[in-house]
Amino acid sequence: MEVTMTHYLVLAALLFLTGMTGFIVRRNAIVMLMCVELMLAATNIVFAVFARAHADGGGHVFILMNFAIAAAEAAIGLAILVEIYRRRRTVNVDDLKALME
Amino acid sequence: MTHFEMPLDATSWSVLLPYLVIGGGGLLVMLVDAFVRTLKKDHLSYLTLCVFLASIVVQIAVHPGEGPRLGGMLLAGDWSRFFNYLFAGIGIMTTIFATGIYDRDGRYRPEFYPLLLFTVLGMMVLAAANDLLAVFLGLETMSLATYILAGGVRGNVRSSEAGFKYLVLGGFSSAFLLMGMALLYGYAGDTNFDAIARVLATGGGATILVTAGSALMLMGFGFKVAMVPFHMWTPDVYDGAPAYVTGFMATAVKAAGFAILLRVALLLQPQLAWAWYPVLTVFAVLTMSLGNLVALVQNNIKRMLAWSSIAHAGYLLLGVVTLLSPAVGDPARQALARTVGESAASAVLFYLVGYSLMNLAAFGVVNVLSNRGGEDADDINRYAGLSRRRPVAAATLAVALLSLAGIPPFVGFMAKFYLFAAVVKAGLVPLAVIGVINSLVSVYYYLRVIVVMYMKDTEADSYDGVEWVSVATAGALAALVLYLGIRPDAFHAAAASVIRQLPF
Repeated sequence: MEVTMTHYLVLAALLFLTGMTGFIVRRNAIVMLMCVELMLAATNIVFAVFARAHADGGGHVFILMNFAIAAAEAAIGLAILVEIYRRRRTVNVDDLKALME
Repeated sequence: MTHFEMPLDATSWSVLLPYLVIGGGGLLVMLVDAFVRTLKKDHLSYLTLCVFLASIVVQIAVHPGEGPRLGGMLLAGDWSRFFNYLFAGIGIMTTIFATGIYDRDGRYRPEFYPLLLFTVLGMMVLAAANDLLAVFLGLETMSLATYILAGGVRGNVRSSEAGFKYLVLGGFSSAFLLMGMALLYGYAGDTNFDAIARVLATGGGATILVTAGSALMLMGFGFKVAMVPFHMWTPDVYDGAPAYVTGFMATAVKAAGFAILLRVALLLQPQLAWAWYPVLTVFAVLTMSLGNLVALVQNNIKRMLAWSSIAHAGYLLLGVVTLLSPAVGDPARQALARTVGESAASAVLFYLVGYSLMNLAAFGVVNVLSNRGGEDADDINRYAGLSRRRPVAAATLAVALLSLAGIPPFVGFMAKFYLFAAVVKAGLVPLAVIGVINSLVSVYYYLRVIVVMYMKDTEADSYDGVEWVSVATAGALAALVLYLGIRPDAFHAAAASVIRQLPF
């Protein structure tokens, strides 16, 4: 079977939906961050597919930028989580209720 | 993807200069903090103020001309200059408010100043963006730095939770935005706005990609401007973040979000007005109604202002809706379409500036009073008797709240007047009526605070600190709110001349 553009797009869609479902279902903050990373990875696949389809370099530049930004986001997220864990001894988002009223 | 000529020519450098000043200034402030041992607490804030002033001076002095520059990445000209002034102004106010607080209780945050500068850099890039890549980079630079501004108060678990909630939901929404950009890129085969507009005009490419892509992008931008139903983070984050950061997020982040929303709406308008117009109409009505109704029952002033900022996002969305309305898209009545579109866009810009002024004045006072300490420092009942103990702060807050309610002669009234006038001009009378009813509802909760401040009294509050710099700055903003409410014409004309640069 020949692998076409559609296959890659379906893979990306499945990855994106997996990340989205995981984000909504799971309550562990670290897993939620990982799910966001999955969604960003799915986007990278879409960019790569279209960059190839249009024979244009713009999509590849997008992917490189996306790597950097996803890494920065994970770093900031984990830093804030460590601060929360020190005080609360939990990373379950249902227990983060200081702001609920 | 268009290509840069290397090396950059003189015009490119002059376009880049304000961005380099802010970005380089951020690095400078960071290095000074790390390496200068004899630094006093105030010095970083003076340096930050100098950087903001330098960027304004550069903007005044250097005129790189109009149109896309740097290989089509950034849009130079009055549009970006307008927003750069706005962001620098809000940055200056935020620096002053933040510094007033540290003086008192020693909660010194040296990392705040470079991060504030980087946030402003992201906003400038976002507002001037003429390429999806610039949109993405500007938005993420702004967002990543804002997450730390909101969540970076050490040892304050409310701040940490606010920052984390903002980061997780912000990351989730950026994933949607990015996927939307990927689909739009797949449709057009290019990330440049002008190239996308050309493809949209010829109607080539798969329509499903651009429809789905624009829906996902709308979700991403809707999150940043706190549009219902993507607003859930707003009250918690605005409440948990320190008040000076909340004021910054409610004004600058919202203005940047609306700048890019206007650009993208105008870009996609020829092809997608049929889809965006009804959807955004529903969202705008929901946003203002829900914001105002929930604000009615808030007892914490920061949460009240958070819901009020959602309501104001709803009014601003009315302006975007007007741009997409059939009256503007009608090719048979080109001249009328242009007037309606221009009056709607200039009304949005005027509203953004007026809203920033009055909201910053309000948060300036709230910020000083948050500093009283105690769990209930932001409770509206703690504002009882404020008019006797602190007449200037109380009067400033009263002016800001009356203006937010849209009562003449303040700028909030003129902003709503221009906005609803544009809505009516496009023939959307029911929307204008809903907007006016909403602002009538909002009068109740704004006036409630004023009643508590002026008509109730309480035993003397133990807190007597006077951050006169913060209060004086907020007072000056309140004076400006009054002045622009009485003499709005010159400024409105300036806003109208700014949007002539945009395609209609």
